[in-house]
Amino acid sequence: MDILFLLIPLSVALVFFILGALWWAVHRGQFEDIEAEGERILRND
Amino acid sequence: MTLVHSAQALPSLVPAPASSDERLSLLDDPQEWAQFSQPEGGQSGCWTSSVVFEGMHCAACAISIEDALRQVPGVKSVQVSAASHRGRIVWSSEQTRPSQWMQASAAAGYKALPANDAHAHERRRREARRMVWRVSVAGLCMMQVMMYATPAYVAEPGDMTPDMEHLLRWASWVLSLPVVLFSCKPFFAAAWNDLRQRRIGMDLPVAIGMLGTFVVSSLGTFEPEGPFGAEVYFDSLTMFVFFLLMGRWMELRMRDRTAGALEAVINRLPDSVRRRTAEGWERVSIRRLAVGDVVEVLPGEALPGDGTVVSGQTQVDEALLTGESRPLGRQSGDAVIAGSHNLSGRIEVRIEQVGTATRYAQIVALMESASAHKPAMAELADRLAKPFLIGVLLAATAAAIAWWPQGAGHAIMVAVAVLVVTCPCALSLATPAAMLATAGALARSGVLVRHLQALQSLSEVDTVVFDKTGTLTLESFSVAQLRHRPDLSEDEAWTLAERMAQDSLHPVSRAIAAQARERRRLRGLSDDVAPWPEGWQVSEHPGQGVSADAPAGQDGLNGRRSLRWGSARFCDAPPLTQERLQVSLADESGWLATFELEETLRPEAAAVVRALQQRGLAVQVLSGDAPAAVARVAQALGISDHRGACSPQDKLQALQALQQQGHRVAMVGDGLNDGPVLAGADVSFALGQALALTQSKADMVLMSGRLDLLEQTLERSRKTLRIVRQNLGWSLVYNASCVPLALMGWLPAWAAGLGMALSSLLVVLNALRLSSALPISSTPATAAA
Repeated sequence: MDILFLLIPLSVALVFFILGALWWAVHRGQFEDIEAEGERILRND
Repeated sequence: MTLVHSAQALPSLVPAPASSDERLSLLDDPQEWAQFSQPEGGQSGCWTSSVVFEGMHCAACAISIEDALRQVPGVKSVQVSAASHRGRIVWSSEQTRPSQWMQASAAAGYKALPANDAHAHERRRREARRMVWRVSVAGLCMMQVMMYATPAYVAEPGDMTPDMEHLLRWASWVLSLPVVLFSCKPFFAAAWNDLRQRRIGMDLPVAIGMLGTFVVSSLGTFEPEGPFGAEVYFDSLTMFVFFLLMGRWMELRMRDRTAGALEAVINRLPDSVRRRTAEGWERVSIRRLAVGDVVEVLPGEALPGDGTVVSGQTQVDEALLTGESRPLGRQSGDAVIAGSHNLSGRIEVRIEQVGTATRYAQIVALMESASAHKPAMAELADRLAKPFLIGVLLAATAAAIAWWPQGAGHAIMVAVAVLVVTCPCALSLATPAAMLATAGALARSGVLVRHLQALQSLSEVDTVVFDKTGTLTLESFSVAQLRHRPDLSEDEAWTLAERMAQDSLHPVSRAIAAQARERRRLRGLSDDVAPWPEGWQVSEHPGQGVSADAPAGQDGLNGRRSLRWGSARFCDAPPLTQERLQVSLADESGWLATFELEETLRPEAAAVVRALQQRGLAVQVLSGDAPAAVARVAQALGISDHRGACSPQDKLQALQALQQQGHRVAMVGDGLNDGPVLAGADVSFALGQALALTQSKADMVLMSGRLDLLEQTLERSRKTLRIVRQNLGWSLVYNASCVPLALMGWLPAWAAGLGMALSSLLVVLNALRLSSALPISSTPATAAA
C-alpha cells in the first residue's frame, strides 16, 4: 500500500493539470454558446 | 516605512481610478444622456436613466443600492429590481451628474452601467464566463475531495494507518484551497461588503458557514490531536459550495431567459449602421445617425430608426412592436419602424426619426419601467428578509452552543447547516421571477405591461368595463350620412370638419380626417388643408370635442370666429336620429352639420365578451355615444349592462360606484380620451397602434389592438398569481421544515447546500412555465380591416 503515498499526491497534481486545461477551455469561450454549435451543422451557410 | 511605501505606490495607482472616472465623466456630456435616459415629463431638468448593476446577488443588494443612491443630492427616486439587475433613477441635471450617482453606487459595491451601453453586454458575458469557471473548479475539486473522503467513511476503525489518514486529509486540504480562495470569492466579497457597510445580506450566513467549515477542517488537518481533530469536513464544504454555485449559475441562465424577452426588446437596435455618403458607404455608430440619412439594412439586421424604404424589397417582422406576428412585405415607398427586423432582402432606408423620437424608444422606456418596478408582494418579502437573516444568525449560534458538548467539530457543522439551509433567496425570487417571466411572454405577444403590480390587480378583477368607440368597434368608420344647415355647402362642411379633425387624436376624428382627404383627392381638389391662420387657439376637450377660436381683431374663416367639433351636446346639435354614432360641427351662431357614421364591431369582440362572461366576469359598456347606438352594440355582443351619453366624469363615477360595491374593475379603452377613467380603474387596458405610449395612462397596452389578447392576458395573470403563491408557499414550507431539521443535527451541510440551491431553482423553474408566448388564435388580424 506504500504506493498510495505516491499516487495520492500524483492525483492532486493531476487535478491541477485538468483544472489548467479547463481554464483554457472556459477562457477560450468553449462553453459560451453550447446550443448554437450543435445547430450550426443544420444551417446552410 | 509604510508612509514611504505608499507614497511610492501612488503614482502607479492613480491612473487606474482616474481612467474609470474619465469613463464615467464621459457620461456627463448631456449628448450622451439620451442613450440611457429620457427627460422626465413632469419636472424640468429631470431625467430618468436606466442602468444595469453589476455584483448584485439578492433582494438585499437592491435595497442597499437604493439606499446609497438616495443619499446623493439631486437623485429624486430610485427603483432597483433584484430579479433583472436593472434600475431606474430619476435625477435632476441641475444638482447632479450621472458620474456622481454612478460613483455612489460603485462605493456601495455595485458598479452601475448605462443600460443601453454596448459594453454592458460584454461585461455580462465576462461575468458569465467567470461563473462557469468558478462552478468548474468547485465541481472538479469536489469530486476529487470526495474520493479522498470515501476511505474515512468505509474503513473499519484501525483499517487505516494514521499516516494514511493524515495524507488523505492533506490532499483534501490542498484541493479545497482553490475552492475556498477562488470559487467562494463572490460569497466572501458580498459578505465583506455587507459587513463594511454595516448591514446584513443573504451571503453573510453562507460565507460564515464556508469559512467556519474550512477553519474547523484545517485545524483538524494540522492538529489531528486537537479539539477539532476527530473529523474533517472538506467533502461537505466542497459539495455545498458546488451546489450553491451551480444553483446560482442556473438561476443566472434562467433569469436571462425569463427576462430575455424584455432584453430582446431593449437591446434590439444595432450598435452601428452603414450610411450612404457622397463617396459610398461608411460605418457609423447608431448615435451619429441623423434624420435624412440613408442607411443600408441587410437581412437579419434590425432597423435603426423609423423611416421609408427608398430601394429594395423585403419582408419585416414587427411582432414586438405592433403585435403583428406575420411577416409584412415592404418595398420602396413603404414606412418601416425602428426595432423591427429585416427578414429577407437588402433594403435602403431613409431615416425620418431616430433615438427617443421613435415608437421603439417609447416601448423600451415603458418596458424598463416595468422591469424595475417592484410588485407589492416582492416588497413585503424583501422587508421580511432582514429580520429573518438576523434570526438565522442567532439560531445558528444557539445551535453551536447547544451541540458543543457533543464535540466541537460537530457543533460547528450543525451551525453551518443552519446558516446554509436558510438563505431566503427563494423567498425573494418568488414574486419577481414569475411576474417578469409573464411580462416577457406578454411582450412577445404584443401586450406591454407598464408595471408588474398590474398583473396582480388583473388577476383579481371581476368586472370588465369597455369603452365602445374604437374598443368594441373598429377604429375605422365611414360616413353614412351628412346633415347640414341649408346655408352651408357640403364641401365647406367637409373642409371645416377636416380642419378640426386633424388636430384631434380621437378615432372618429382620425377616420373623418382620412375620409376628407380621400374625398378631396378623388375630386382633384387641393393637396392639403391650409394651416390655421396665425393666432387661432385650438384645444381638445377630453370626452367632448375640439374647439378653435380666432384671436381678437381677426375676421376668422369665412366670417366664422369660433368653431366647435364633437359630441351633439358640445355643439348644440338638434336631435337627429340617435341610432348611429355621430359627430357634429358648430360655429358661434350654432349648429352647422352632423356626420353620421357607420361603425363595425371588431370581429373577435363577441367571442371575447362571451368568454369573459363564461369566466364569471361581469361585462359592462360605458360610452360617451348616444344611448341608442350604445344599446345596439351592447345587444349585438350580449352585454345587458350598458350606459350611453357618459362624460368622462360620469364614467369615473360609475367606476367608483362599482369599486365601492367591492368590485375589482378592469377598464378597456382606446387610451386617449379616457385617461382619468383608465387611471381610476384597478387595472386598465389601452388598445391601438397609434397610441402615444408615454402619454397613455393605461397599465397594459394591447399593441395589436386585438381584443382576444385581453382574455388571454387575464388568464395568464391568474396563472401568474397561482405560480407566485406556489412559489411563496414552497419557500415558506422549505424554510419552516429545514431549519428544525438542521437545528436537530439531522441535516448535513452538503444536504443543506443542495436544498438551498434546489429551492431557488425550483422557484425559477416554476416561473419559467409562464414564459411561453400566448396562444394566438387564428382570428384574422383586425388591423387589416
